[in-house]
Amino acid sequence: MKKDITAIVDGIVAAKGKTVNKVIPVLQAIQQEFNYLPSAALERVCETTEISPSRIFSVSTFYTQFRHQEQGKHIISVCVGTACHVKGAMLVYDAFRRALKLKDGCDTDADSLFTLTKVACLGCCTIAPVVQIDDITYGMLTTEKVPEIIQDFLSNRQDNTSVRKHQPKHTANLKDEIRIGLGSCCVASGSSAVRDELEKTLENNSIAVNVKQVGCVGICNQVPMIEIIKDNKSTAIYTKVMAEEVRKIVLKHFKSGNIFNEAGNRLLNYIEDLVVDHFPVSSRKYSPEKRDTPVSEYLNRQINIATEHRGIIRPLDFEEYMKLDGFVALKKSLFEISPGDITAIIKHSGLRGRGGAGFPTGVKWELVKSAVSDEKYIICNGDEGDPGAFMDRMLLESYPFRIIEGMIIAAIATAATQGLFYIRAEYKLAVKQITAALEICRKHNILGENILNSNFSFDITLFEGAGAFICGEESALIASVEGDRGFPSLRPPYPSEKGLWGKPTLINNTETFSMVSWIIRNSAEAFNNTGTLHSKGTKVFALAGKVKRGGLIEVPMGTTVREIVEEIGGGIANGRMFKAVQIGGPSGGCIPASMADIPIDFESLSSAGAMMGSGGLVVLDDTDCMVDIARYFLSFTQDQSCGKCTFCRIGTRKMLEILNKICSGKGSEQDIVALEQLALKTQKGSLCGLGKTAPNPVLSTLSYYRNEYEAHIHGSCPGGKCKDLIKYEITEDCIGCTKCAQRCPADAIAAKPHELHLIVQEKCIKCDSCREVCPVNAVILK
Amino acid sequence: MIKLKIDNIEITVPQGSTLLKAAAAIGIQIPVMCHNEKIPNHASCMVCAVKNKQKGEFIPSCEVKATEGMDIDCNTEEVTAFRKDALELLLSDHVGDCEAPCRISCPSFMDIPRMNRLIAQGNFKKALEIVKEEIALPLILGYICSAPCENACRRKQMEGAVSICQLKKFTALEDSKSGSYYLPEKLPETNKKVAVIGAGIAGLSATFHLLKMGYSCSVFEKNAKAGGSLLNLAEEVLPAEILHIETAILRQFGAEFIFNTAVNALDIKKDFDAVLIASGENTKDAALDFSGDGFSTVHEGIFACGSVVKTVKMAVKLVAQGKQAAAEVDAFLSGKSQQYAVQFNSKFAKLKEEEIATYLMESTAEDRIDPSQGRLDGFTAIEAMAEAQRCLRCDCRKASTCKLRIRSDQYGAQQSKYKIAERKTIRKYFQQDILVYEPEKCIKCGLCIKILETHNDLTGFAYIGRGFDMHIAVPFDKSLQLAIAGAAAECIAACPTAALADFNPEENH
Repeated sequence: MKKDITAIVDGIVAAKGKTVNKVIPVLQAIQQEFNYLPSAALERVCETTEISPSRIFSVSTFYTQFRHQEQGKHIISVCVGTACHVKGAMLVYDAFRRALKLKDGCDTDADSLFTLTKVACLGCCTIAPVVQIDDITYGMLTTEKVPEIIQDFLSNRQDNTSVRKHQPKHTANLKDEIRIGLGSCCVASGSSAVRDELEKTLENNSIAVNVKQVGCVGICNQVPMIEIIKDNKSTAIYTKVMAEEVRKIVLKHFKSGNIFNEAGNRLLNYIEDLVVDHFPVSSRKYSPEKRDTPVSEYLNRQINIATEHRGIIRPLDFEEYMKLDGFVALKKSLFEISPGDITAIIKHSGLRGRGGAGFPTGVKWELVKSAVSDEKYIICNGDEGDPGAFMDRMLLESYPFRIIEGMIIAAIATAATQGLFYIRAEYKLAVKQITAALEICRKHNILGENILNSNFSFDITLFEGAGAFICGEESALIASVEGDRGFPSLRPPYPSEKGLWGKPTLINNTETFSMVSWIIRNSAEAFNNTGTLHSKGTKVFALAGKVKRGGLIEVPMGTTVREIVEEIGGGIANGRMFKAVQIGGPSGGCIPASMADIPIDFESLSSAGAMMGSGGLVVLDDTDCMVDIARYFLSFTQDQSCGKCTFCRIGTRKMLEILNKICSGKGSEQDIVALEQLALKTQKGSLCGLGKTAPNPVLSTLSYYRNEYEAHIHGSCPGGKCKDLIKYEITEDCIGCTKCAQRCPADAIAAKPHELHLIVQEKCIKCDSCREVCPVNAVILK
Repeated sequence: MIKLKIDNIEITVPQGSTLLKAAAAIGIQIPVMCHNEKIPNHASCMVCAVKNKQKGEFIPSCEVKATEGMDIDCNTEEVTAFRKDALELLLSDHVGDCEAPCRISCPSFMDIPRMNRLIAQGNFKKALEIVKEEIALPLILGYICSAPCENACRRKQMEGAVSICQLKKFTALEDSKSGSYYLPEKLPETNKKVAVIGAGIAGLSATFHLLKMGYSCSVFEKNAKAGGSLLNLAEEVLPAEILHIETAILRQFGAEFIFNTAVNALDIKKDFDAVLIASGENTKDAALDFSGDGFSTVHEGIFACGSVVKTVKMAVKLVAQGKQAAAEVDAFLSGKSQQYAVQFNSKFAKLKEEEIATYLMESTAEDRIDPSQGRLDGFTAIEAMAEAQRCLRCDCRKASTCKLRIRSDQYGAQQSKYKIAERKTIRKYFQQDILVYEPEKCIKCGLCIKILETHNDLTGFAYIGRGFDMHIAVPFDKSLQLAIAGAAAECIAACPTAALADFNPEENH
């Protein structure tokens, strides 16, 4: 049935508004309706609003979210973020292309059922590589699993729309509870299914226990995780729980209220225990009292300020937040101390912007405070676009009230009149949680007129960013809120002087706001006791890549790279060697293992050629190619460059071209020199942060791994990553099982049962399938 | 008022002045490209960059405002190198020919595409005028030129090169038949006398240009008639009549021929202000030392060109040398600095398969025409017009006004510096007879978008995409007419390159 475009568009325009700044929300609503932007719909918008054809095209083609072509019924988004990249996202992407039989230059399959796209980062780095099909996320993929996943999606999608019968009970007076994390990573790892199973088990067995859905638990690569609380004490933590194990876990700790069922369960336990010798089979149980478990190692080095009450707090439970000192800082700011005091405390705490550049927060607040205007804005920058970073997403999903509280305190301190959340549209759960939290706050008079009966009024709205890394840059972010392309503008004037709609505007990162209430509550000293000379307090990092335990961590500034990788992260997975950490994403650089003892703070990272960035921390091992890493980041930045200025627009592309040449083995010594010179020129000639820092991944790998560049010139890729420089071979260890031959999509291996197999090099497409599937590791890379 | 230092000069400027204006106030002209005084826009090209010495930053002077205590460098080596870098990056993404490949490959730099266009319009007289700006002896060359231009002609990729040499001959023959030869306007009389020794190709060519520049010329020739080495050619290659006409034209233009007279340059120098030796291959004189710069010799006021210096086989090269030597003589006599440094020229290799159709939009799909009356007699007027229409118009419509070319020339930028991956594919869009839009010449300054934003009745332009692939196009695939309509001239004038150009700049100016 053809949808009536005119009527739908008119409805959207009536709901969203007709002014130019509504262009992005209007486009988002149209796409929501049609799955793409039909030309007729856009023409209708231009006819009925102040939005011109020029604007609607300039804007809709700038942001990645918007699609101008009709799409397949379902969208498969392969995450190509850093963590996914180093874990083979491109191999997965190619596997999808093969599975869907996509022709070159075409991203939609013949039946128009699926459209395949790449997405910069889904922020689920700890379970990389990740793929999202519509709203369902699949983690820890291999090329082998791709056909299964497509099948799984097709067979399960009906179930997802069905309404769950059992609603979780939350009764505050119970002493026992079962906590389950429902952050994006958890959900992607199957925690919804675990929760459903949990609720079913409890209901079937009439067990009266609280099931508490907490936000991100931080140990993202161990999820789904269940924590059992008895008599207000944590008694056991189960990690990597599978739905079918839930019943056993529950019945181990809680007695069934249903005699008949209990008998049945016992019988089942007995039978199953005969089959499996460990309980439960895939999950590991840890006691929280034991000090030497991986879970405690992971958690012990951490200090929770931004992530206070992690794993305990329910994101949208207002009462609980209040009980845990929520809004105490707000009340203090409203009734006990002056706006000047607030700024003084923040300044004294030494808090620096957590968005990357580390500008002193208190100083920024003072600038906005001293700007004279009848209107001032507060913006929470949640446009976390670094591939390999997911701190903001976690904080927004898990601690919405804390961030809102931080924003209101900032508003009091700076006499701001309006607040705005700017959150990437890809962060669906974060958008949902914040929207709900804002509504709850309004209901409790935390937002709105005369907050908590004071004479201070303030409200916050939410703007969904449409997918542009550059919009993390504050002037570009403002341009996008005003309904423009995300072109940054020259600073000065800074937003503190002339920001949104020309008014003084305070823009802070999500993490910065999430630290404010803690500081006001606990004093500036309590905060600046932790950290280093110039970098105070803690920093939240997204730890991912080749470590055993990845996740969201909060550690004191000054913690060393080694402590994070080896102690918190448990060292390198799969027995490989620690090679480097990539810090700060596309703006940052690589710190080699030999320098792992440097303490992490703003200054030491910059002097090592990296950058704090927003805190993405991707660990690399000896199978990673540093030239490929540089190329990966340049392909990201050249795509994300807004395109305005010469050096960034052309310089980043030309650097990428040189890197492609080197990775293909066609580079020369002169190319390395040319690359280095161009990197320095781009750094010098770019006007905004994106262009100025885009060369960092190149310069830092050139300074620490020049030998790898040279190896590529001489025809070899030491990490075994660059397709043109590697080949797959089968060793004598081959047992002739034929699995590789069956799996090979290019018919490069003939199936010869019980014989040594051989790869026909001319046919090999280097998809890695054979190596993945070989049971005896007989397929090797040369 | 704001106090600051620019190039170590302390100045005071009103609050809100850009650095560009502040510098202009003390006579420092900073080059601009994407900036336009009348159109508010963001800085993007970085060609106007200056250095903020305190911060060590390079900033666009067209947008950054002067602030108290600033210390700015506009002309240091570092700043010029920076501007050159910006230009080289822009050039790496600029696909187009400033001058057509035919013209570039012509030793005499004849404006071939312009000649072709005039012939196509039937304006044969004007066509010859264009030819004669560079080529003194078009009639002779029409018979004997080896036509390197045709080898470079982009039309060679499809149905054969344009028959340039025959077209040039056609214009000259038309002129010779007209009864009154075309004689270019001369510059005012200088009252200076030049002796040319040798009436071969180089000597005749030099004579023509010297006469045009207002000198009186005496041509000394040891033979009984003009032509030099041309006299050895067979009648079916170069009819004697042709040589006769060309000599007659020169005589009518004011040349004095002294035949049967062998002279020595050092002897006659006293009677002339300058002497140019163009006596050919076999007349070398041990007393003369040709080792000066360019066409000058070690003997003051004595110049030499052609095969007497070094054997030159190609006739058109001798014609070119005659012209260049004349220019040197002129520089010497007038005391002006000599100006024939090669101008910057954007170029690209062969047309891609998919670009052929684009280029044919400005041409006809015909095969190369062979003169029906034979190669010696050449084209009929109808044939000439048809053949000239085959020209693809490779030359740039803004070759003399493009700011990218002017700045590249000024800063010595090299286009090939960042030639790494495959270049972009050329596209051309037309607003009938009014405007041509070539996206691959665009530097993405967005001035046109800004201009069209002020015309509410027009569809305007939009930025499409971002990063390196960002380009400018008409929304909803609408026509250029709907996008620009009456604002075309405004956009063309503002466009710093030839991305937006007048469809017919020659007629419209």
